[in-house]
Amino acid sequence: MAMSATGTLALRLRELTGRDVLDLESLQELVSFAYRAAEVRAHHRQGRYDLDDFGFDREWTEVLLPIFRLIYKRYWRVEVSGVHVVPYTGPALLVSNHAGVLPFDGAMIRVAVFDATERHARALIASWFGGLPVLSWFLRRTGQTLGHPDDSSRLLESGELVLVFPEGVKGTGKPFGERYRLRRFGRGGFVELALRTGVPIIPVSVVGSEEIYPMLADIRPLAAMLGMPYFPVTPTWPLLGPLGLIPLPSKWRIRFHDPIPTDEYPTGAADDPSLVMKISDEVRDTIQAGLVDELMLRRTIFRG
Amino acid sequence: MPAGRRVLITGVSRFWGGHLAARLEAHPEVEEIVAVDTRGPSVELRRTDVVRADLRHSLVGKLLRSLNIDTVVHTALIVDPQRTSGRVVHETNVIGTMNLLAACAAADSPVRKLVVKTSTAVYGSEADDPSFWSEGMSRKAPARDGFTRDLDEVEAYVRDFSLRKPDVVVTELRFANVLGPVHDTPFTRLFDLPAIPTVIGFDPRLQLVHEEDAVRVLEHATLDDRPGTFNVAGDGIVLLSQAINMLGKRNLAVLPFIGASTAMFALNRVYPLNFPPHLVRLLQYGRVVDTSALKDRFGMTLSRSTAETLRDHVRERKAGDSAGPRKEYTHEADLEDYLRRKSGSSNGATHAVARAVATSSARSSANVTGAPVRSRRRSNGSRA
Repeated sequence: MAMSATGTLALRLRELTGRDVLDLESLQELVSFAYRAAEVRAHHRQGRYDLDDFGFDREWTEVLLPIFRLIYKRYWRVEVSGVHVVPYTGPALLVSNHAGVLPFDGAMIRVAVFDATERHARALIASWFGGLPVLSWFLRRTGQTLGHPDDSSRLLESGELVLVFPEGVKGTGKPFGERYRLRRFGRGGFVELALRTGVPIIPVSVVGSEEIYPMLADIRPLAAMLGMPYFPVTPTWPLLGPLGLIPLPSKWRIRFHDPIPTDEYPTGAADDPSLVMKISDEVRDTIQAGLVDELMLRRTIFRG
Repeated sequence: MPAGRRVLITGVSRFWGGHLAARLEAHPEVEEIVAVDTRGPSVELRRTDVVRADLRHSLVGKLLRSLNIDTVVHTALIVDPQRTSGRVVHETNVIGTMNLLAACAAADSPVRKLVVKTSTAVYGSEADDPSFWSEGMSRKAPARDGFTRDLDEVEAYVRDFSLRKPDVVVTELRFANVLGPVHDTPFTRLFDLPAIPTVIGFDPRLQLVHEEDAVRVLEHATLDDRPGTFNVAGDGIVLLSQAINMLGKRNLAVLPFIGASTAMFALNRVYPLNFPPHLVRLLQYGRVVDTSALKDRFGMTLSRSTAETLRDHVRERKAGDSAGPRKEYTHEADLEDYLRRKSGSSNGATHAVARAVATSSARSSANVTGAPVRSRRRSNGSRA
């Protein structure tokens, strides 16, 4: 009812003014969000949750997705290339650069992957999030799990898409001056994981996430006191209080690179550190080159 | 194992031992069931000989030898220290296990099989835990409460024992939290509250096992040889918020995420919930174990998943509300017992004692413990 009413209203306004005054698509998404949210809330009240054993609530996540899609399309105007390499079935390991203080890049990659394949990429998060109120259950309920080796191999073995950020908090917590310069890729644990399970690695370059919270300084003593990996100072945080949590509307570009197969190596390849580091460097170089290319395509930070 | 099994069960005054003994009685291949506890059994037992002895005494060894026990099932571990002081819990869990295993490991011990009931609490409950604990994993953080520390010690004793006696079949069963109509656990008490206190900003994943399944697993481990350590939990998970919705209760987010145990302690003063500290951490971070070993190596599929266990519990509670309190039954049983003892001649009781002593041929142990060895004991507990 409300859906067709808003639709008619938007159409009338377009006829009258010749312009998209009301964005029909976004409006409809918001209306359908409200409907589906009520539906899921009713299910939950009856104790009916669409859960897997990791605690991922698919139904609930897909209700929230339109909100993130709105941010994806309207706020950060994400442009995606190469998303066709993400398989429709079977496991794959998405490896991306990590930036932006708060892990919005994970959410945006997930929207891109879902819109292309209707699959949920399961991101591995820092164990630190497990101890945070609200985020601890929110991230789990939306399909994330902690970056424990056992968790990631379980997900891949059950045929899921797994998204990892080998830079970890070193990536999200880097100062603005060092943007788009990749940090060390951990100890190559993600390569070991891929070799062990024989799944392809798909490198992903994300441009735009570095500018959402330009981190000018890191107050380390305060971070240590609060048990946080870093305490960022941005132009708006903590100066403007909660308003400082609003990310800046930078222009985003996400590029999915060609998959790197890992099933051709002999068994036991995962225990060969030189091979692991070689593949790790290869992935890192691919992502870094992709960042440079995408930055060239984006002429200004905010308008794209 | 040859026919004519001779089984010794510890902790028969509690849910686990009592119900296991009752189930084993139905198996003709189990020739002798001896239960050791300081108190009477929790259920009505027909042919189990109950020895009132304390595991703290090394008399257990004498009992094993003279009764020629081949299977020992240790269910005396106290997970829910309700109305029991911390010292007694430690004595029962650690020192009791130590003495029992020392007796079983003696050179002339007839024991060929040991089944130990422990808890998945041994994995702890932390923010950075893996999503699934399998039997080979162990937690990174040190034990945060006395119970978990005790559990570590118990498991160390069991490991030690299995190394020292490689010819003995050792089965260690780590049970998730049990829920069911009979057994009174911290979770049944929590779920019976009109509003359920939760930790602010946390919604843990929980796993439950139905009490019937728990006893079936113990029975299976006693009758068949299944060496190794196994997690026992119903399939799947429930979120605490989901459980609260299923129960139709209110989610009362009052416990702060720093110092939840302290807050629970304070809450306990207001409302005696007796919720032990190791479970408060569970309310914050949850715990899920991998049960594939139970299915594949142990060869058992539980009758109810975690969600079904909870659903059963909800149904049970709703039915219980309309049917009135279930305690009447116990009173009736007590009355019957009393009448039989009073009027049905005292020679019935003496006969029972005589039979027990004769079958056990353990005059010495009965004398030394100074405790009556009686069969056909009736429950004197509050539960039927």
